[in-house]
Amino acid sequence: MGRSTGIYVIIALLLAVLPFVYDDRIILSLVMQVFIFGIFAMSYDLLLGFTGIVSFGHAMFFGIGAYSVAIVLNQNEATLFYLLLGTLLAVAVAGIVSFIAGVLTLRLQSHFYAMLTLALAGLFMVAAEKMRSLTGGNEGFVLMVPDMFIDTSGPTLYLTCLIVLVVFFFLVRRFTQSPVGKVLMAIRENEQRVESIGFSIMYYKVIASMISGIVASIAGVLYVLSLQFVDTSVFATDVTLDALLMTIIGGVGTLVGPIIGAGIIEFAHHWLSDLADVHWIFKRWIILFGIVYILAVIFFPRGIVGTLQEIWIKRKYKKQQGKEATKDKNEAAS
Amino acid sequence: MDLFFNLAINGLATGMLIFLLAAGLTIIFGLMDVLNFAHGGLFAWGAYSGVWIYDISGSFLVAILGAIVTGLLLGALTEWLIIKPVYGNHVQQILITLGFMLVLSEMLKVVFGPNQKSAAPPAYLDGSWQLGDVILIKYRIFIILVGALVYGITYFILKRTRIGLIVRAGVMNKEMVQSLGINIRLVFMLVFMVGSAMAALGGVLLAPYSGVIYAEMGMEFAILAFIVVVIGGMGSFTGSLLAAILVGMAQAFMAYYVSELSLAVNMLLMFAVLIFRPQGLFGGKGEAA
Repeated sequence: MGRSTGIYVIIALLLAVLPFVYDDRIILSLVMQVFIFGIFAMSYDLLLGFTGIVSFGHAMFFGIGAYSVAIVLNQNEATLFYLLLGTLLAVAVAGIVSFIAGVLTLRLQSHFYAMLTLALAGLFMVAAEKMRSLTGGNEGFVLMVPDMFIDTSGPTLYLTCLIVLVVFFFLVRRFTQSPVGKVLMAIRENEQRVESIGFSIMYYKVIASMISGIVASIAGVLYVLSLQFVDTSVFATDVTLDALLMTIIGGVGTLVGPIIGAGIIEFAHHWLSDLADVHWIFKRWIILFGIVYILAVIFFPRGIVGTLQEIWIKRKYKKQQGKEATKDKNEAAS
Repeated sequence: MDLFFNLAINGLATGMLIFLLAAGLTIIFGLMDVLNFAHGGLFAWGAYSGVWIYDISGSFLVAILGAIVTGLLLGALTEWLIIKPVYGNHVQQILITLGFMLVLSEMLKVVFGPNQKSAAPPAYLDGSWQLGDVILIKYRIFIILVGALVYGITYFILKRTRIGLIVRAGVMNKEMVQSLGINIRLVFMLVFMVGSAMAALGGVLLAPYSGVIYAEMGMEFAILAFIVVVIGGMGSFTGSLLAAILVGMAQAFMAYYVSELSLAVNMLLMFAVLIFRPQGLFGGKGEAA
């Protein structure tokens, strides 16, 4: 733990210095999007990777975060106080919705949670379209943000996103290493066995569902700050699919993996969209990702980080075995 | 009164379309324990290929047959490429079928172009009959008849033929069926193909009904189909028909009276079922295994 924490801290510090030494605004705001979607994908990993729950409506928590803050800021003054109030509202709503979704379906087979969240996200999207007076309908609305965040590619917002990412990364990692986290991983491995030991599975699964939803809503809050605009696309299935791709490609159940996945997807999206001028097929870059994703599910279900970890552990194990073998030989010789 | 009739027929027609989608979903789930999240993609492919063939051939019947063939082929492909490698692993199944859904709907945009397409019913199904105060729109009646026909034929095959017997036995206990010397994998494949063909048929029938088709419609209808499958009970064929009619009706009536709530009503129905009868109104399966 000690060494990996050190590496993470160093990387975080390097990223913190970046906006002061490098001033390509497009790349900086892209890195910021990576932070935001890193938080989002990490929250997804908490469900999929650590508890084995599949959600197809994770976008709804993202959207709840985005709309809560946007509406609160829009209806009141654009001050830090209302930003915090909106964030609180986002957390509360996301907590309640994820609680309801969890209680309704987590005692059933895994399909049910996936279906229910998919349908719920659809419901939120329709609601956002219909409640025009609050949400501006399909077109969405531009909002005022507190003065300190007005410059969307300035260092303040960039650093805020980075800090939130780092804080939540360590919090969530601490959570997964806590006794509750261990139970969640045990549920992922063998539900019946955990139940027969005497744990109430429902309770733990609902906790995972709620924490994941709340963290995802925070990502939505940052997202709306970075765009200063919100529309119904935050509830779209594409957003959920992004989280899925990032988590699967990066590495399920590793926490770092989804963040790396977020980096890969965001940058690939950026570059492949540029290539659209070269050939129209690049406009449909999502097909490429879909195919990579399907292949990853079949052949590399552990993703980039997971596969690397596997190789690393195997090598370490072999080395250890080799050492022991030579030791045995030496002992036998003497 | 005529308003009531119109809405009821409208709801029945929508219900039949959802039924065509949900029936394949529920049988595949019952038999193979696979929930196919790509099913909506097959529905959209049925719609696009049907409209394309209709534009070329000018015959609606040929278009329907073409869509069914597309469904059969895509179903075989899906089963072989996507489902086979991940049998028995629920999480992987869910993940991979959604990924395939993504590929299917993006492929639609590549093959047929990204814009939505318009579709009209053939001349002999256009227009309406007047029965006293009630106006019967021909195409809606046609959808209802086709849906009823598909239900009847499938029901007959399931209950009265040997292959139906094997499928039903497979839903109950596939190991037992296999140990009796029946190639259950082949049955899986056939059921998957038939289910996909039904979805494609639903798609091509929807096209002239709604007037436009677009790549995202697969997902929209799939959500309704999932609601239907939960309400009717996973694996229950008749349950999916009744639940589809229920959802279609709720959709039609709510869309007329309180349009904001049409999806919400169906969600509430699903919530109620999940709370009080999680195995669905007509299903025995669905409890966590």
